[in-house]
Amino acid sequence: MSGRGSSEGLNSKNGQAFIDEFLDEKNMTVKESRDVVLVLMKSEEMEVVVDDIILGEQKKSNPSIVVEDHASYYWIKADGQIVIDVDIVADIMGRSYNVYDFLVNVSSTVGRAFITGNVFTLTTELVGLDEALV
Amino acid sequence: MQSVKPSGHSIMENTKRAVRAPTSVEAQEVHRYLMDFKWEFEKNRTKYGTKYEMANLTKEQFKLTAKEYARMEAIKEERQFGTLLDGLDRLDAANRVHPRWAEAMKVFANFLECGEYNAIAGSALLWDSAQSPEQKNGYLAQVIDEIRHSNQTAYVNHYFSKHGSDAAGHNNPRQLRSVGPAFRGIKRAFGDGFNAGDPVECSINLQLVAEACYTNPLIVALTEWAATNGDEITPTVFTSIQTDEMRHMANGYQTIVSVINDPKAKLHLNTDLNNAFWTQTKYFTPILGYLFEYFSRYKVEPWYKTWNRWVYEDWAGIWLGRLAKYGVTSPPSLREAKQDAVWSHHDVAILAYALWPLHHWRHELPDEVDMAWFEENYPGWYDRYGRIYDEWRKLGFEDPKSGFLPSAWLIENGYIPYVDHVSGVPFCPKLAKGACDLRILERNGRRYAFSDTYGEQQFLLEPERYEAQDFLTQFEGWELSEVIRAGGGLRSDGKTMIAQPHLRSDNMWTIDDIQRIGMKIPNPLKMH
Repeated sequence: MSGRGSSEGLNSKNGQAFIDEFLDEKNMTVKESRDVVLVLMKSEEMEVVVDDIILGEQKKSNPSIVVEDHASYYWIKADGQIVIDVDIVADIMGRSYNVYDFLVNVSSTVGRAFITGNVFTLTTELVGLDEALV
Repeated sequence: MQSVKPSGHSIMENTKRAVRAPTSVEAQEVHRYLMDFKWEFEKNRTKYGTKYEMANLTKEQFKLTAKEYARMEAIKEERQFGTLLDGLDRLDAANRVHPRWAEAMKVFANFLECGEYNAIAGSALLWDSAQSPEQKNGYLAQVIDEIRHSNQTAYVNHYFSKHGSDAAGHNNPRQLRSVGPAFRGIKRAFGDGFNAGDPVECSINLQLVAEACYTNPLIVALTEWAATNGDEITPTVFTSIQTDEMRHMANGYQTIVSVINDPKAKLHLNTDLNNAFWTQTKYFTPILGYLFEYFSRYKVEPWYKTWNRWVYEDWAGIWLGRLAKYGVTSPPSLREAKQDAVWSHHDVAILAYALWPLHHWRHELPDEVDMAWFEENYPGWYDRYGRIYDEWRKLGFEDPKSGFLPSAWLIENGYIPYVDHVSGVPFCPKLAKGACDLRILERNGRRYAFSDTYGEQQFLLEPERYEAQDFLTQFEGWELSEVIRAGGGLRSDGKTMIAQPHLRSDNMWTIDDIQRIGMKIPNPLKMH
């Protein structure tokens, strides 16, 4: 079963139905995924990032993006990549804010994350192997 | 990657730069030229040799300079301590945590402190081993991060002990946790797994598996359980810790980038990855499930769903799956790990209840609400475990005058507990529904128990690494109250025990209640 949300796909099943599929022979090896996961610690700045960037321009260019509120953090999953232009966040907030300020509240990533100038990128690509990391 | 469009803010910043004399240089420009200041050696002169060749062209994904690093971390500290010492202090947050969960934090904060402390050494040896200046820079920042995290986790204990309702176990656990049988697995997974042996293996254990995989349930998912159970303290500290872990995951990826084109990687990388995955899984899969589900009043989701999301679908799929074209294969131990994700925390929970006097936390038996939830989500749970808890309750599990010890009950009923010699995790073959295959090995006059072939294989490859005695061998023949005294398991009155089989402040067990029972620690290895 597929699904990008944290309670979708196999996680939508419960009890024995979940256990049976989870332990099914076909699920006993790693399955390659091109998704990326971003976890943002809740804060004033991350509200802007989620509302205006992730659910704004990023969602328009990548409709696969899912954002979930997990009480203390936002859990965000997308196919391929998530890109945050921190200059735009600074512009919306009307104060100085650079990519290192943004990293203060980036709690976790699954995928390859890196910064270039004032842009934060989280990608499925194997940077440093398939393509150079600048 | 999308292009960076000039925003109003950046236009303003550029205008400022254009009309003023330059006062500073951009951090990433500083990073670029700092990385040119490096020592050139014909051969890497590290004192921590590795069987791999670490390439010297790897990059640092977050381009840290001391100035930006220090500024970033200072903001984190100001926010964390500001929240704890200003807002939450006045709201009496420590006393609004559900009492069960406050006990869980005695365990979480302590074992994470162990891990962070050992990771200081682990990341320092990686700094010494790496050849690429950028890779070294990333590892060096991690050393400092780990010191910060050691302080943060200790501070969680300090905060709870100062402001919460039961300080014992938060304020004095270091001696007791070194003795306690439920705590020893951390020394293998988060101790020597991080800082002993081949540096690349250490990196795989520390950064690629423990940090990139298990810190997500341990530090991120935990905060949701904490918030759901009234804990407003832990989410602030733990999500802040994880903002550094995110860079450590990148360090682990760069370790792989640095060795993956080395021909020796084809020989060793998959074996090292499987060993590291099993080493971390063996402790973290049962212990996290046990703490989430048995110490919460309000349960977020069954542990197997958390594991499926964070470990199988995301970490395995996004990290290992994407590296398949470079020869990384699915770890063979994934099969047993998945079986453990469903059942091993229940296997460990019942042993943890049985060994309750040796812990530094209080622990109440599952009640009717818990039992209904367990049976609904883990069909067959009651027949295997629940009926035993019900019987223990009837026999006086909570009552200090009952003379009932569940560990004695287990042995009398043929449920013999062992300690897996490699992972340090207790197991009971007759009770286990997780992956369990009892193996007894005799070598040089000593007997060793293993709960699986992966651990046995690791032992046979490096027996000198596993010389330490397990709990049951070390304390064989000791009377139980002597072990508790040796571990410092008493409260400040010198009589009442830190560990309790209930959460009430009345009818607490004292060391005299244990001594009166007169139980001697058995060595099951001598029963074979």
